[in-house]
Amino acid sequence: MILNKQKVAALLDHLSGARDVFVPATVDGVAKFARYGEGVQPDFGMVNTTMPPKDLLFPQTQKMYHFDVDANGSYRIHEYDESREQVVFGIRPCDMRSIVCMDEVFLTKGFVDEFYANARDKLLTVCVGCAQAAETCFCDSMGVDPQMAPNADVMLQDCGDAYLVLAQTEKGEAEVAEWSAFTEEADAQPVTCDLTLKVDMEGVVDKLEGMYDAPIWDNLSIKCLNCGTCTYVCPTCHCFDISQDMRRKDGIRFRCWDSCMFSEYTMMAGGHNPRPEKLERVRNRFMHKLNFFERRYGMSLCVGCGRCVEKCPVALDITRLIDEIGAYDA
Amino acid sequence: MPSIEISHGCAKGERPLVPQVCRVVEITEETPDVKSFRLQTLDGKKPFDCEPGQLGMFGLLQYGECMFVVSAQSDEWVQFTVKKVGLVTEHLHDLAVGDEVSLRGPYGNWWPTEGCKGKDMLFIAGGIGLPPVRSFLLYCLEHREDYGRIDLVYSASKYDDLVFKEQLFDVWPNDPDMHVHVSLYHEDPQWDGEVAYTAPFLDSLELGPEDGNRVAVICGGPSLSRTCRESLLNAGYSEELILTTLEMRMKCGVGKCGRCNMGGHFICLDGPIFSLAEIATMHSDV
Amino acid sequence: MTAQDIIRTRAKELLESGEVATFIGWEAGRFENQTTPLVITDAADADKLVFNEYCVNTLAKYVRDVIPRGKVGLVVRGCDSRGIIRLVADKVIKREDVYLIGVGCPGIKDRKTGEMLKKCAECRHNNPPEFDEMAGEVAEKPVAVERFAEVAEVEAMAQPDRSRYFESVYAKCIRCYACRDVCPCCTCRECFVDQRRENWVGKQNNVAENRFYGLTRVMHIGDRCIECGECERVCPMDLPLMKLNRKVIQDMNDLFGEFESSLSLEDTTEPLIEYRLDDVEEFM
Repeated sequence: MILNKQKVAALLDHLSGARDVFVPATVDGVAKFARYGEGVQPDFGMVNTTMPPKDLLFPQTQKMYHFDVDANGSYRIHEYDESREQVVFGIRPCDMRSIVCMDEVFLTKGFVDEFYANARDKLLTVCVGCAQAAETCFCDSMGVDPQMAPNADVMLQDCGDAYLVLAQTEKGEAEVAEWSAFTEEADAQPVTCDLTLKVDMEGVVDKLEGMYDAPIWDNLSIKCLNCGTCTYVCPTCHCFDISQDMRRKDGIRFRCWDSCMFSEYTMMAGGHNPRPEKLERVRNRFMHKLNFFERRYGMSLCVGCGRCVEKCPVALDITRLIDEIGAYDA
Repeated sequence: MPSIEISHGCAKGERPLVPQVCRVVEITEETPDVKSFRLQTLDGKKPFDCEPGQLGMFGLLQYGECMFVVSAQSDEWVQFTVKKVGLVTEHLHDLAVGDEVSLRGPYGNWWPTEGCKGKDMLFIAGGIGLPPVRSFLLYCLEHREDYGRIDLVYSASKYDDLVFKEQLFDVWPNDPDMHVHVSLYHEDPQWDGEVAYTAPFLDSLELGPEDGNRVAVICGGPSLSRTCRESLLNAGYSEELILTTLEMRMKCGVGKCGRCNMGGHFICLDGPIFSLAEIATMHSDV
Repeated sequence: MTAQDIIRTRAKELLESGEVATFIGWEAGRFENQTTPLVITDAADADKLVFNEYCVNTLAKYVRDVIPRGKVGLVVRGCDSRGIIRLVADKVIKREDVYLIGVGCPGIKDRKTGEMLKKCAECRHNNPPEFDEMAGEVAEKPVAVERFAEVAEVEAMAQPDRSRYFESVYAKCIRCYACRDVCPCCTCRECFVDQRRENWVGKQNNVAENRFYGLTRVMHIGDRCIECGECERVCPMDLPLMKLNRKVIQDMNDLFGEFESSLSLEDTTEPLIEYRLDDVEEFM
């Protein structure tokens, strides 16, 4: 089954009737997944959005519950579920892989995060394969196929003028069954996507085990500004803070993105900070990406989308770090 | 070397981030800046069942929540012992009996009460490190026949900072095979006992590993932990038989928000209780 | 010898002689025309140093972190040099903590488009006002566009368009704090946004909190802004941060007379720091 690219707009109009459909688009100068509608022009030629789609499942600020405190100090908690039916249309295979990572974090190990789970259940993922790569793309080195995302509900492989439509889950099959007005029964050949940026991950995970005190962390962290850019543009970074705001007697408890780059992140009430300097923070971030997550969940926490490589203010480049780890000789 | 099996990542629960509203039913002023709070649900029940050493996220909706070890429990309540060190704990100290608070949990793993059966127990704590250790100590005393000789080595900066004084000086010494050793770091007019830092004090007591039949349990600040660990290793304890409970800043309590990791392990979910042998295999910043 | 040759030679000599413990410059990045800051301690690494028209990062901010390792040598253009003056004036470092190799800057280009960066097109001081030695000659650079042209554009907006404009700006902010962390004037040991106890700024990401952060930073930078434009360059959301900085500068100029920050170590008086009896008090 194929979907002619000229029919995509009509399909989006159809999909957005009952659900919020998010498409890659540049809005107010920021490339992100924006809600399809007036003033939002989908751009499926854009290789990667600046902001990842993670906020569809894990918003930068997420209200968890309201509460009020009456004059006697009595508490009432009002629970809250803002999740709604969403479609992400045009998500890339690297970002689909990031959802595999986030599913592991939020849905496994004894506790299911209900806020993530509710949004996840209501999300339909339509992945568009990549016909071209940006210079900073290195997903294939991280085990991602730029034309295939196995966990997408629907995979649209780029064949030039049309997409080859693959319904990959029950949800995807049910969805595609409704698309007959837009699709045709035909075959097409996906184009190949060549990536120029390559890293060699062979042995990196194991090698890092013995490199916790290696000098590379000092060399790397010394130029880091410890801003949160890499963590906020990263599709897999999922650290959050929990806080509250009060207005008179009403309040909300919310969670919001946080960054391991910030010193405040691990600062304890008594003033002790187990990761006091840039070195400890930078090391923790890259070890988490390339080793800790692999050990815990059996997969890398870097999907090779290249956003941090593109956006880091000081061009601190994870691909160069991977090269250095490979070349490191203790 | 014999080792003790510690459960990790064993806590489970639904809807982990939304607290229940509880009520403070009793407050004990342990020191000028430490109070213990007993909590029940609004209908007078125990908020949750937990094992000794597990954690609860105890707080105030207006100000935030913090993770504490359940320092004691009965069939009707759980208790947290809180030192005033920051914004939330300052507000917790303003609580009165009957006030409402938020509570979620239990989180984390628990002391290996089974694995330590038949062993002599050496508890070592400094300052506000005693409440987490006491959760295990109380269990041992409740199941007295399952454990051998019990030693508690406890230190604080000054006399006022010693928590649970009544138990320390009046209750626990009455147990025929429990030995309480207390020192202060500094001279104090209210004190005529030992003045020594914990590690040299511990050394002076010559409580050896008894051929692997004594388990050491430590909780204290970074310098106490480091020096007592060295003392125990020098005395011949194996890393497998030195247990500790760790602390880092926590927000979610369920291994998701990220900040309390030691390598790929989360103190809130996989810990807080580890043996030194386990910690040695982790990439720890703690 | 090119400026790059001189920089390499002198960095090597300074490190070998022990005159400096670290040397800060730039090295080539992975991609074409990309550079990245480089901090070296070993003279053997001096040949990694590059100087070309793609050295986008200013270097002054690094000095604060590196000084505990000993005296710091670094390459300074106009912006880097003014950043050092700023750090000295704010007593973050001492002048004798650094050895400055000046270079004339022809203006830095965007590595992808080849066009001069906005911050460089707006730059009025491309040659370093403070240095210990120069590597090569001072550089010519096109004269900056009118300093307050962007401010005038915003001021020309009628309300409520102007409010909407700023709302759309702060709706984009993700509060990564890259603007703060790159700024040579942002040297507080603990930034007000990290003071969780006081909770000056809530952690929700919304226009109100983001704007509160942004405007507080602008006012705090105030008369110290060296107009290096790094905050605007590094912003991953492309917020027009220099418009706000220059608005404050323009207001100060109107109130206290024409002023440019951090051009000389000798005259570091700033309009908001120094109090004069004849200061304007029109808002009191």
